[in-house]
Amino acid sequence: MLRKLVLRVVLAAVATAVSLGAWASPSVIKIGTLYASSGYFSQASTRQYDGLKFWVRQINAKGGVYVKAFGKRIPVKLIAYNDQSSTMLAASLYNRLITQDRVHTLVADYGSVLTSVAVPLAQEHRIVLFDETGTSGKFFRPENRNRYIVLTGLPTSSQWPKVLAKFMHSKGIRRVAILYAANDWSGSQAKTLNQTLKQDGVDVVYFHSVPDSTTSYSTILHSIAEYKPEAVAEFGYSDNDIAFVQDYANSGLYFPMVFIPNPALHFEVVRKAVGNKALRYIYSYVAPPIIRYNREVTYGPTLNEFKAAYAKAGGKNVDLSTVAGFNTGLIIQKALATAPKFTQESIRDAIDKFSGKIFTLDGLFKVNRYGAQVGEFLPVGQVLPTKTGVALKAVFPSESAVAKAVYPAPRNK
Amino acid sequence: MVVAITVLAYVFIPYGYNNQFLLFNMMMYMALAQGLNIIYGYTGYLPFGYVGFFGAGAYGSALVIIYLHWSPFPAVLLGGLAAVLVGMLLIPLFRLSGAYFSIANLAAAEALYYIIANPHLASVTQGPYGISLPQVYDPNAAYWTMLAILVFALILSGLMRRSRFGLALGAIRENPVSAEMAGVNVVRSRAIAWLLSAFIAGVSGAAFGWYISVFYPETVFSLSITVFAIVFVLFGGSGTLLGPLVGTLVLYGAYNYIGISTPQYFQLTYGLLIILLVLFLPSGLTSLLRKRGIDVP
Amino acid sequence: MNLLEYALLAGLFYGLYFALVGVGLNLIFGVMRIINLAHGDFLMLGAYGAFYLYHLLGWNPLWAIPIELVVFLLIGLPLYYLLVPRLQKSGDPEMLSFILFFGLSQVIEAAAVFVFSNNQRSIPASVFGGAPINIAGQVFPVSWIVSAAVGLAGIGLIYAYLYHSRPGRATRAIMAERSEAAATGISVNRISALAFGIGIAAAALAGIFSPFMIGAIEPSMGIGITVISFAIIVIGSLGNPIGTLLGGLIYGEALMLMQTYLASWSELLPYVLLILILLVRPTGLLERAVRSA
Repeated sequence: MLRKLVLRVVLAAVATAVSLGAWASPSVIKIGTLYASSGYFSQASTRQYDGLKFWVRQINAKGGVYVKAFGKRIPVKLIAYNDQSSTMLAASLYNRLITQDRVHTLVADYGSVLTSVAVPLAQEHRIVLFDETGTSGKFFRPENRNRYIVLTGLPTSSQWPKVLAKFMHSKGIRRVAILYAANDWSGSQAKTLNQTLKQDGVDVVYFHSVPDSTTSYSTILHSIAEYKPEAVAEFGYSDNDIAFVQDYANSGLYFPMVFIPNPALHFEVVRKAVGNKALRYIYSYVAPPIIRYNREVTYGPTLNEFKAAYAKAGGKNVDLSTVAGFNTGLIIQKALATAPKFTQESIRDAIDKFSGKIFTLDGLFKVNRYGAQVGEFLPVGQVLPTKTGVALKAVFPSESAVAKAVYPAPRNK
Repeated sequence: MVVAITVLAYVFIPYGYNNQFLLFNMMMYMALAQGLNIIYGYTGYLPFGYVGFFGAGAYGSALVIIYLHWSPFPAVLLGGLAAVLVGMLLIPLFRLSGAYFSIANLAAAEALYYIIANPHLASVTQGPYGISLPQVYDPNAAYWTMLAILVFALILSGLMRRSRFGLALGAIRENPVSAEMAGVNVVRSRAIAWLLSAFIAGVSGAAFGWYISVFYPETVFSLSITVFAIVFVLFGGSGTLLGPLVGTLVLYGAYNYIGISTPQYFQLTYGLLIILLVLFLPSGLTSLLRKRGIDVP
Repeated sequence: MNLLEYALLAGLFYGLYFALVGVGLNLIFGVMRIINLAHGDFLMLGAYGAFYLYHLLGWNPLWAIPIELVVFLLIGLPLYYLLVPRLQKSGDPEMLSFILFFGLSQVIEAAAVFVFSNNQRSIPASVFGGAPINIAGQVFPVSWIVSAAVGLAGIGLIYAYLYHSRPGRATRAIMAERSEAAATGISVNRISALAFGIGIAAAALAGIFSPFMIGAIEPSMGIGITVISFAIIVIGSLGNPIGTLLGGLIYGEALMLMQTYLASWSELLPYVLLILILLVRPTGLLERAVRSA
C-alpha cells in the first residue's frame, strides 16, 4: 500500500517536472561555437572568437540576454571548442555541440572552410547556424532550401568586387590583370570581377590562378607586366597578398593600380609583414573598423564606443574579425529579443522580420530568404601616407569616401 | 568474434551516445587502419600517400552523384573503383624500395590533390570551390554504409591472415627473392593486396564525403588522415587483425576526449608516441601480448 | 624573350639557394641511410632564429649564419647519439627511421606552435638595403642575390669539407661502404654524428633566407620543404654535394619556367619531378640502386 503510494507520488512529481520543463525557461542560454588556436585560420579565428566572447561578457554583466519568449534576461553560457583549423575535427565538434551539449544557438568558426561542415549539420538538426564570415556562395543557394543559416557579417564573397569593378570603370581603366589563389574565397571574387569588368567593356588581359601555397610572385609579376595592364588585382589569403606586394615592391615593375583584399580584413597584419613603404598606394576593400559606422548605428554600440570599451577591457587591436564576432552576438541578441517563441523556427522568422531594419557597427544587417547577407557592401580603399605612417582610407564610392584616390599611383613611391 | 563485437558496438552505441560523427570517424579510421594494415602489415610497404585513395574515393563518388545523378550506394562503390584505378596507376612505384616507395606515394597523393584543386578543372572537379551534395544528404544511411565497409575490411584482413594468399604475402615481406623461388608470384600478389587496400580507402572516402556532404579538396586530401591511420596501426601492431582496431579505439578515443580540451598538445603527444614506439615497441601493443604467449588474431 | 631571360636568371638564383636547402638532407642520407623527415622543420627553426635575432636585437640575418651554425651543430650531435645508433641496430633501419623522424617532425612543429605561436612571420626584404640590382638588363631583388651567394658558398664549403679534410674523407669512406670503413679504424659513430650535425646546421642556414625565397615563416612549413628537398636530392645524386647543386638548379629553373608559362600548375612540379625521376632513371641519377624486386 505504502509502496504504491510512494510510486504514485513519484510518478506525479516526474510528470509535473516534465510538463514544467516544457514551459520553464532554461537557466542559461547555451551558445556553442568553435575557434582555431592553431593552423591556417588561427589568427582571424581567435580574433573573431574574442569579439564574440566580449559580447558575452558585456551581456552577462547586464544580467544576461533578454529572451522575449520568457520575458526576462537569462545569462549566456558560451561553449567553445578548439578545432585547430581542421575541418575533420570541426565536423565532429559541431556535432558534439548540437547533439551532446544541446546548445540553443550555434555559431560557426571563421571563414568558409571551417563553416562548410556546419551547414548541412545545422540544416539536418534544424538549428539556426549563425555564420559569421563563411561567405561562400554555395551555402546560400536557393536550391539548398536551407532556412537554418544566417550570414551575420559580410556579403557573400562573389559580391565583394562589384564596387571595385565600378571604380576601375570610373577611372577609365581599359586593361586589367587578375591573378588569384586557387581557393573558394579568392576564386569567387576573381570570377565576379572578371565578369563584371567584361560587362562594362573593360579588357581583362590576364586572368590566371596560382596554387594556394604560392609565396613567390616575382616571375609571375614579370609575366603580367608583358600584358601592360593599367590595373592588377590579386586575390589570395593574407600570405599570398603579403608575398605579392613584397615581390611587387622589389621587382622594379610599375602598375598604375594594384589591388589586394587582405588589408581590409587585417590591416595591421599585412602592414607589419610588408612595411609601410611597400604598402603605399595599394588598393583594397574597406570594411569596419576602417569604415567607422557611428552616426548610422541604430542597434548596439557605435564603432567608436565599441573600440573604447574593448580597449578598456584589455582587448588589443580591433580588426574586421573582432567586429564580426561581436556583431554576431548583437544579431543573436536582437533575434532572441524579437522571437515570440523560443524555437529555432521562431528565431529564424524573427531575423527575417528585423532584416533590413537595423544598422550595427558592422553596417546594415539585411539577409535574404536563404540567409545570405545583402545589406553590406565593400567600398574601395587605398593605402595613403599619413603623418605617422600609412592608413587605409575609403576612396570610392563618393558617399563612403573619406579621401581622394591617387590614380595613377606615383611612380617613385 | 572480433567482427561480431565491433558490429554490435556500432549498432548499439548510437542509442546511448549521440555524437554520431565521432562514431562514424572511429569506424572510418578503423577501416582505414585495416586497409593500411593490408598493405603495410602484410607486405612491408608503407604508403605515405594513403590519403590519396581516400580523396580519390570521395571525389569519384561525389562527381557521379553530381553529374550523373547516381544514388549514393553505387556511387560509394564507384568511389572505391576510382581509388583502385589510382592504385593501378601507381603500381610501378613498387619497383622502388622502402622509404622511396613511401615518399613517391606521398608525392603522388599531393599531385592528385593539386590536380583536383586546380581551377582549370573546375568545370569537372569543382576545383578549389569544393563539393556540396545537399541532394543526397543522409547521415544515417552513410553511417550504416560505413559500418558495412568496416565489416568488409575486417573480414578481408582476417581472411588474409589465414589464407595461402596472406602467407604468400608474409613470405614476400620476409624475403621477396626466396618467395619468388618458392613459386609465389610476387608482383601479382603484392598488386592484389595494394588494390584491395586502395579499395577500402576509396569506399571509406566516398562514405565520408557522403556523410559530411560539403567538403573541400584539402579536407579529403589532408595528410593528417594518413598520419592517423599509420599511428593507429603502429600503436596497435601491424600484421594483426586486432592491432589496428585497438590502436584506433585507444588513440582516437583519447584524441577526442583529451583532445577537445587541449588539442594543441596532441600533435606533440602523437609525435612523441611515434618516436617512442619506433625506439621501444616497433611491433605495437599486441606484441606485448604475444610475448606473454597469448595468441592475437 | 625578355620574359624567358628573366625566368632563366631567376631560376639560377633559386637553384643555388635550393641546393643549400637540400644538401643537409643529402649528407645525412648518404652517410646514415636515414631520411630525415624533420629536415624542413630544422629549416623552419633556423628561420625563426633569424627572425628573432632581427626583430628583438635588430641583427642583420647575415649575423645569424655563424650563430646558427654553432647552435644547430650542438643540437645535432646529441640528437644523433640519442636516436640513430639505436635505430641502426633494428631490423629495418631505413623504414623505421623514416617513421621516427616523421614523429620528430611532428614534435618540432607542435613545440614551435607553443613557442612561436601560429602567426606568420617575415623579415622585410629591404634588410639587405639598396634598390634592386640590375643584371643583364633584368632587375632582381638584392635578397635573392644574397641568398643565392650564401647557397653557393654553403655547397662549396661542404664540398671542401668532404674532399679536402680528414673527417670529410672518412665521411666519404662511410658513404661508400660502412662496414669496410669501420674495419679500417674509422670511428663510424663520431664521423656520422658530425655529418648529422652539419646536415641539420645546413638546413638551419637555408632557413635564415627562407623569408626571401620561400615565403612567410610558420610552424607548419616544414613538411612541404622536406618533400621539395627530397625531390632535389633525388634529381641530383645522393651523397654528392655537386649532385645536389645540379638538382637545385634543375628544380629552380623548372619552377621559374613553370611560373612564367604555366603558373597554375607550378605546385605540381616537385611531386611530378620526384615521381618521374624515381621511376624513369633511379639508378642513372643516383649512385645507389633504390629499386628492389
